[in-house]
Amino acid sequence: MKTRSLITPILALVSFPAFLFGGMEAPKTTLESYTPWQDDTVKTFENILVQQDGRVKPINTVARFTLLQFLGKSKVWFQTESGESYRVDYAAWLLDVLFRPQIANQLPVFVVDDSEVVVQIGVSPKSKRDRYSYNELLKGRSKLAELGAEFEAKEKKYRDSEKDPQYELERVEGMILTLARNVSSYEYLIGQFGFARTGEAMVNEGMLPPEMVELSRRLNMVDMVDKMPEMTTAQLSQLIRQAPGESEDEKRFSAALRLFFFQASSAQGIHLFPPRDSDQEEWLSGGDLLFAGLASKKDREWTREQLVKIQALTQALKEGEKDFNTALHTFSDQQHSAAAALGEGTHSQMEIRLYRGQWFINALYCFILAFLLMAFSWMTPGTKVGRLLTFGAAILTLLGFALDVYGITLRCIIRQRPPITNLYDTVLFISAIAVLLGLFIEYATRMGVGLLVAVLSGVLGMFLSLKYEAKEASDTINQLQAVLDTNFWLATHVTVINIGYAAGLVAAVIGILYLSGRFAGLWMRRENPDFYRSLTRMNYGVICFCLFFSFAGTVLGGIWANYSWGRFWGWDPKENGALMICLWTLVILHGRKAGWIREIGLHVNAIMLAIFTTFSWWGVNNLGVGLHSYGFTEGVWGALYASWAVMAVFMLMGIPIWLHDTKERQEKKLKSHVGKEAHA
Amino acid sequence: MARNPIDWSPKNWLRLLYDFFSSFKLATAILIFITLVTLLGTLGQVDHGLHAAKEKYFHSFYFVERFGPVPVVLPGGLLLMILLFINMVVGAIIRVKKRWKGVGLLISHLGILMLLVGGFVTWAFSTDGFMALYPGMSSDRVESYRDWQIEIVPITAEGKGEKAWIYPSRQFESLRPGEERTLDASELPFAVVVSDYSKNTHPIPISAPMASQVQAPEVNGYKLAVNTPSKEAEQNLPGCYLTIQPRKGGDSIRAILWAASYRFDPKEKSMPFTFTVDNQLYAALLSKKSWTVPFTVKLDRFDFSRHPGVMMARSYESLITRSQGDHTDTQVEIKMNEPMRYAGFTFFQESFGPAGAQPGDEMFSQFAVANNPADQWPLYALIVVAFGLSLHFLLMLFQFIVRSRHKTPPTPFTS
Repeated sequence: MKTRSLITPILALVSFPAFLFGGMEAPKTTLESYTPWQDDTVKTFENILVQQDGRVKPINTVARFTLLQFLGKSKVWFQTESGESYRVDYAAWLLDVLFRPQIANQLPVFVVDDSEVVVQIGVSPKSKRDRYSYNELLKGRSKLAELGAEFEAKEKKYRDSEKDPQYELERVEGMILTLARNVSSYEYLIGQFGFARTGEAMVNEGMLPPEMVELSRRLNMVDMVDKMPEMTTAQLSQLIRQAPGESEDEKRFSAALRLFFFQASSAQGIHLFPPRDSDQEEWLSGGDLLFAGLASKKDREWTREQLVKIQALTQALKEGEKDFNTALHTFSDQQHSAAAALGEGTHSQMEIRLYRGQWFINALYCFILAFLLMAFSWMTPGTKVGRLLTFGAAILTLLGFALDVYGITLRCIIRQRPPITNLYDTVLFISAIAVLLGLFIEYATRMGVGLLVAVLSGVLGMFLSLKYEAKEASDTINQLQAVLDTNFWLATHVTVINIGYAAGLVAAVIGILYLSGRFAGLWMRRENPDFYRSLTRMNYGVICFCLFFSFAGTVLGGIWANYSWGRFWGWDPKENGALMICLWTLVILHGRKAGWIREIGLHVNAIMLAIFTTFSWWGVNNLGVGLHSYGFTEGVWGALYASWAVMAVFMLMGIPIWLHDTKERQEKKLKSHVGKEAHA
Repeated sequence: MARNPIDWSPKNWLRLLYDFFSSFKLATAILIFITLVTLLGTLGQVDHGLHAAKEKYFHSFYFVERFGPVPVVLPGGLLLMILLFINMVVGAIIRVKKRWKGVGLLISHLGILMLLVGGFVTWAFSTDGFMALYPGMSSDRVESYRDWQIEIVPITAEGKGEKAWIYPSRQFESLRPGEERTLDASELPFAVVVSDYSKNTHPIPISAPMASQVQAPEVNGYKLAVNTPSKEAEQNLPGCYLTIQPRKGGDSIRAILWAASYRFDPKEKSMPFTFTVDNQLYAALLSKKSWTVPFTVKLDRFDFSRHPGVMMARSYESLITRSQGDHTDTQVEIKMNEPMRYAGFTFFQESFGPAGAQPGDEMFSQFAVANNPADQWPLYALIVVAFGLSLHFLLMLFQFIVRSRHKTPPTPFTS
């Protein structure tokens, strides 16, 4: 019987990946064949440093979040015309974009959630939600730019008018704007090293008149700088606007200037070159160097030295991947030495390890496996196998916890900050604390409930972290605003309040277990009252824990606000959110003393506490008002409403349980009354 | 078991009141209402802005909230805080059984009371404003963020204003369109009449196409158009009509006073409306309410840096010299999270300007200036509450673990 009961879940487990991926086909491309980059080349490339968003980071990070932004995934999956399919990861994809743009243009990296978007720009749609390559979108490029500009202006009006609904973007308009931004960002990437590809066809030649395209095959932009008179970018910009003279030479000169301006303007965004002077902080892009060389003759030697390094890379690639890898190594070594002299780039290898290690995905796998083991253990309760499975689940939970903590630690070391500096960090941290709390409960009670709480918290937390990272698609190790530049308050207020959040959520998980267990028990009629009383005691303890940390965190936040904003309390939405958590724990504790809240009420209110917690954690950030603007986010209401609806369903389970208990109490009372009368 | 009937006789009322105000039921109800008011006040900020939401929900005795078409009267934050204070004093401090087991809770309730008292002192007695200075400038004047006033200043032959008649906006902000109010100006040779004061306005020339839609009097070719108040109360630009009626007779003088005539950058000069009565030149201005601190602050240096390559501010800090009468000048550094506390005032590094300044532009530093007698009370209260709660919860946790460890873990189902 026991063996047979295990067959179905095992079959389900084995067939799940097949169900998930079976029948799915890689998107077809126009590529006849594809040669993947060698691992060595990718490894060398990913360690190249870039300054972006105010910090120096490995290009690996830039590649990862850029692809996430375009595609929502960290790997491009496609099929060549010959039918071979490939999964190219983010760093290899960026290598294609920068050094083999003709190939990259055919890769399906732009995800479009609604085919209406491509219809509106005049591109033939594929399925309702699909991926498109740059080349596929080219036909609608000008329309996309036009609509993008229109919706950009509308969005600005919406912001400036303090969210006047008449300027709010429609769903498809928002998607068109996102696609326009993504395509524009992509064009900057493919144009990044255009200046260094003398003699090659231009990737973005459709944007230019034929005489400039023809010129680009002969003209070396780096050499051109040497021959030009000194002029600022503004002067160059003014010059190219003037009509060229009549002679061929003048026309050619004018075309050359326009080409130079185009190439230098396209090579913006990837800041690869450390500054020459140690008192400078801003790294330079290829375009910056071209403009700087043009502006000042005394800088030309140095700018030329830098630009030639990129030319060396593009030349080496023509010789083969081995030469390219060697050239890439040389570039990377020189760059790292210059960065080290400035005290930067010291944690680049660790940052690569953070993303390559996939600690949080692996933690999720551990928690899922632990959950499955626990589920199997429920089928064999009280047996050796059951105990072994529970032990396995506990080990996997500890492993998942360790992976989460390891990832958090790497992030702390990389940015030299306490664990939480942004909303993404809170997900990782709260998950870790919830798991820890669950494990502690398990240690104290050995009922299996703490372990289940830990596992569920781990699964939900890690899943949320992955979803949120993909949704935001921007570097999660970001620079801090001036007000947050204090490790003391980040380590105290922020950490403590998030421990409170974690406890609020754990209380809800216990509440859900209690209510769903008892709800099921209404039909099974074998429920053990002692077990549920223990759950109530457990949850009471967690609520007290939540009160302590929420209160301390809230007041610490007030004290911090008093140091930075000049007042302890300002009824700011984030402050109010934290206050509501404190208040609701107090409602539960005082309501219990008042006799208004008993067992069922405690668990129902524990779920309500989680609703306040999620409102404070996510909801107020979505309101877009208040002083905590560094934590603002958008587009989470849907998920929040869904989670609240689910929680409300569990809360409603309390009603039949309460009716059942009331009826049972009355019957007992009646029986005892009848018994007493009979006895009398 | 039947409950004893409640004795409602007058001699028992005091007892009933005592029971009511000390009850856990009242505490729970108050806490539920505070949660509800906090939630409504938070959501209300989206539509009405922080200042309006604070006034409606938190600084009130009651308010009316519409839930769809149904208006519901709810207790305001102020009333709830007063009730909570009474409930805590009577219930958690006086009535509670004094046992060793409950000492942690007693301490934590005392801490919460400290916090509430601190909140009241802050609400009732604190002032807050700002001081903005460019490097090299000095001042002892603090300006309000939101409160405005009308200033009438006689101008001397040297072009200076040595004395001013000040009329705070509370004297005329309740005016409705078309209403006017005469302000007390008995020492002046004219009466001052204010009309049509609005919180957010802009003057519009009568030649503008929109002017015909503005229902307001015309003065010198302009009308004062009323705008919807901004959600950020600090962004509002109030305006009003001013009528000067010379007491010795003669024509009245009419003017529009608009907040934008006041300076918004420390380097700017205000542009008051000037008029002559009895051969004396006067200036009238709608200015921000201001007050002085007992020392002068001179901004020596303002350091501002952004993260490389982006517009986000990395740090901003000010080096100031504080001078007070015969005291030695003191140089102090004020930066984010490190304010200067002196003579009951606290100077916080708040922001910088002008808006849209590019790297290399000269910038001013803005300090938030607060005078709060209960400034550090929250910190003391936190220490007290944290100690009390730690004591109580640790004791409970210890008991829970001991009890749990000595019992066979129960299972969900009976065998």
